[in-house]
Amino acid sequence: MTKRPRLATNVTFANGVAALALFAVMAYVFMTASFPKPDGFPAGSITASIGYAMFGMLDQAAIPAESFLVVFIVIAVVLDAALDASLLLARREEDGSVVTALTDGGRRLRGGVSGTESGAADADSEATDADPEATDADPEAADADGTASDTTTEGGEA
Amino acid sequence: MAGAFDFVPAIAALPLLAFVISLFFGQYLPKRGAEAGIIATAGSLALSIWTALTVAGITGSETTYNENLYTWIVGQDAGAVTLQLGVLVDPLAALMLVIVSLIAFLVHVFSLGYMNDEGETGLPRYYAGLGLFTASMLGFVFSNNLLMAFMFFELVGLCSYLLIGFWFRDEGPPSAAKKAFLVTRFGDYFFLIGVVGVFATFGTGLFAPLTEGGSTVAQSFPQLAEEALADGAGAAGVDTFGYDASTWFTVLGLLVLGGVIGKSAQFPLHTWLPDAMEGPTPVSALIHAATMVAAGVYLVARMYGFYLLSPTALAVIALVGGFTALFAATMGVVKQELKQVLAYSTISQYGYMMLALGAGGYTAAVFHLTTHAVFKALLFLGAGSVIIAMHHEENMWTMGGLKDRMPVTYYTFLSGSLALAGIVPFAGFWSKDEVLYEALIHGMGTSDTIGTLLLLGYGMGLLAVFFTAFYTFRMVFLTFHGDARTDAASHATENRWNVKFPLAVLGIGAATVGFINMVPVKELTGAEIDYLHQWLNGDLGATASHHYSDLLHDVAHVSAADIGPLAPGAVSLLLALAGLGTAWKLYNVPEPVEHTDKLGGVKTLLMHNYYQDEYQVWLAQGVTVPIARAADKFDQGVVDGVVNGVSSVSLFTGSRMRRIQSGVVSNYATLMTLSLVLLLLVFVVVGGDV
Amino acid sequence: MAIETQYYLLLSAAVFCIGVYGILTRSNALLFLMSVELMLNAANINLVAFSFQHGNLTGQVFALFVMALAAAEVAVGIGIILVLYRNFEDIDVTKAATMRW
Repeated sequence: MTKRPRLATNVTFANGVAALALFAVMAYVFMTASFPKPDGFPAGSITASIGYAMFGMLDQAAIPAESFLVVFIVIAVVLDAALDASLLLARREEDGSVVTALTDGGRRLRGGVSGTESGAADADSEATDADPEATDADPEAADADGTASDTTTEGGEA
Repeated sequence: MAGAFDFVPAIAALPLLAFVISLFFGQYLPKRGAEAGIIATAGSLALSIWTALTVAGITGSETTYNENLYTWIVGQDAGAVTLQLGVLVDPLAALMLVIVSLIAFLVHVFSLGYMNDEGETGLPRYYAGLGLFTASMLGFVFSNNLLMAFMFFELVGLCSYLLIGFWFRDEGPPSAAKKAFLVTRFGDYFFLIGVVGVFATFGTGLFAPLTEGGSTVAQSFPQLAEEALADGAGAAGVDTFGYDASTWFTVLGLLVLGGVIGKSAQFPLHTWLPDAMEGPTPVSALIHAATMVAAGVYLVARMYGFYLLSPTALAVIALVGGFTALFAATMGVVKQELKQVLAYSTISQYGYMMLALGAGGYTAAVFHLTTHAVFKALLFLGAGSVIIAMHHEENMWTMGGLKDRMPVTYYTFLSGSLALAGIVPFAGFWSKDEVLYEALIHGMGTSDTIGTLLLLGYGMGLLAVFFTAFYTFRMVFLTFHGDARTDAASHATENRWNVKFPLAVLGIGAATVGFINMVPVKELTGAEIDYLHQWLNGDLGATASHHYSDLLHDVAHVSAADIGPLAPGAVSLLLALAGLGTAWKLYNVPEPVEHTDKLGGVKTLLMHNYYQDEYQVWLAQGVTVPIARAADKFDQGVVDGVVNGVSSVSLFTGSRMRRIQSGVVSNYATLMTLSLVLLLLVFVVVGGDV
Repeated sequence: MAIETQYYLLLSAAVFCIGVYGILTRSNALLFLMSVELMLNAANINLVAFSFQHGNLTGQVFALFVMALAAAEVAVGIGIILVLYRNFEDIDVTKAATMRW
């Protein structure tokens, strides 16, 4: 059972001063700059023009734009790559153990590199073994999405 | 047909070639390199004799030669000095070339008997050292400028070190070699400063002017100094660094004298020569009797035109020489080893030559140099012959009765001893007598302090004559006369031809070489038989002996009194005979005893060489080491401290700066945001065109 | 009447700075990623505002591609947070501080 979201009060406010300073400077710059009157769009369907621009068919676009065909293809490749990357990061071995950096002769270290072990190291590893089972569903779901997106990508290239 | 002068560099190049052959191929040769050395020195001797004949005018067209053969460093700016190497052959150089190559040749032949026949090992190194030494000494003799002379001066010092330390596996020789090198090096330090000073003052180091077709192309520094004294320093183009010209020339002369005193073993840098007797006897004969120690005296004679311009320097030279003559002669009286007596005798005799040079007796000094080279080399080789026969036992108290068993050695040694003691008509009498005569007349004839000092030198030299005769004949009687005191002495035999031949040649020389300049006979009969004096008055005007006598009279204001040579000659002969007679009475008995024990405490002082060795060791340990320690502390603390300080600043800054990398990503993001804000502010303030 | 461009810019700056504030102060890695999303969308607002000002659709199309990229980036980011959790037992970014001096 989760609780309703609370305002975060246990953060270190000191660093946030930098963000406020950045806003102050940017606000000053923007309000003192003078821009020409906005042109606005001529009559015509904006969404249709966006679609034509994405496929490079600029002559049929009502509102002027640039050709984004190559970018479209590149973004498709990038999305595919990102998907594969996230799957690779989430991967675990066949026997259920996890490829991780913080092991000490096969035994997982709690609390980070300093290796502060609590007495029940075995019990902890059992508890963490429970987590991989919960996350096992995600890679399989992601795999289904991966195959689905692969077909759309191929459709897009044709 | 090229003249002899074109081959003069070969006189030094031949022994250098022998050095290379002995060093690399000596182990394959049957005599381990002696053949190369003998052939090379014989070649040098032949070329030297040919050169001397050319200088005499008998062969060839020119009689003097002065030329720069190799430019080492070219001076770029207007007043910069150009360093060159060249050859100067005038009567003095020609004479010295003959002497050096003759003695070197005889020593090489003698080495066959001393080293090869005795089965010594490491001979290629020995003959290589002898070859390099001969080459360096000959190169020194025909150098035409001061820098080249300095280079060869150092080279002969190096060879002396290598040869004294020949038997380096024993304890004594390496230590003696180091001592010789360090003591002479100490003097050479002042010599180097003097060389630099001469070049800085005069812009040239030439001993004699270069002429081309009768006109002078380059002046020599004695010439320039003469002009500076006459016309003023600026007029002659001479820079005396703010000092009065004559004072500055005296300073330069005394600086160069430092090297001379070290190399010629004069007081106080004489301590290395007795220790140098640790080397093989032929080495002692060649280097420490006839040639290397002569280098210092030869240098003064070479630069004599410069020294004559400074009466103070002349007085110092005479005083040092006279004192050394007496000082070393007293120490030779108590020595028990054969070569030690001869070593102190060498120191003493070079004192005579310095006395002559200081008194203005140029011919007398060169004469004594010649005769001493012959009879001292003879005495050392004779000692070597005795040492071989006594199976390398050197103490005279183990010898005795050798004159019947080793006749050739005895008679030649006797010839040399009579020459050393100065008994007429042997060579040493004529030359030593002339030295003392010159000191006397110039001392009597000059009025101010220099005259007194010259007379003081004369007195000391005269007293040394008695001691010289005494220790010489004590040596002869203990070694050759009386009964044999040990088995080795009673079974001694004469050596082979390679020992007898050099002894014979030098023995004849010791008896006859004095006839080249018999000044008393000339006074008696009026015959012009002072051949050496005429020889030295050669065609090269700047180095002619008459030019030197003019300078002596006009610039140094030293004049000669009008005393005939017969009376002073008789006095010195009487003293020598007195010394001989004392030694005869005390030591020419079948079983002599050590009469010098009666001197008591004086003998201890003399045996310890007036504690000069201990004094010099104290100077090194007590004075130099603390100064060196302080300098080291300064270097480590201040100089290194600055460098280490710079690096420690860097290390400290680095160790503090790296703490920014805390590993927490939020901190990095904060820093980036703050930097962005700062950059935007800069753009806002400065405007768009940053 | 069209809204002046600088008000759009001001809005975009405000959203951006809220995102920056989130990055600088939040310790939870997932909230860190949400802040990054905020920053990306602030840039999108900027693009669309200038597209309207110039009368050219390039800005809007570009904004679409930026959104696609944001999605890809979040996918990879979630993967990284997963590995972070595995290694450090916690998704607190201030705890994962081993790459330091």
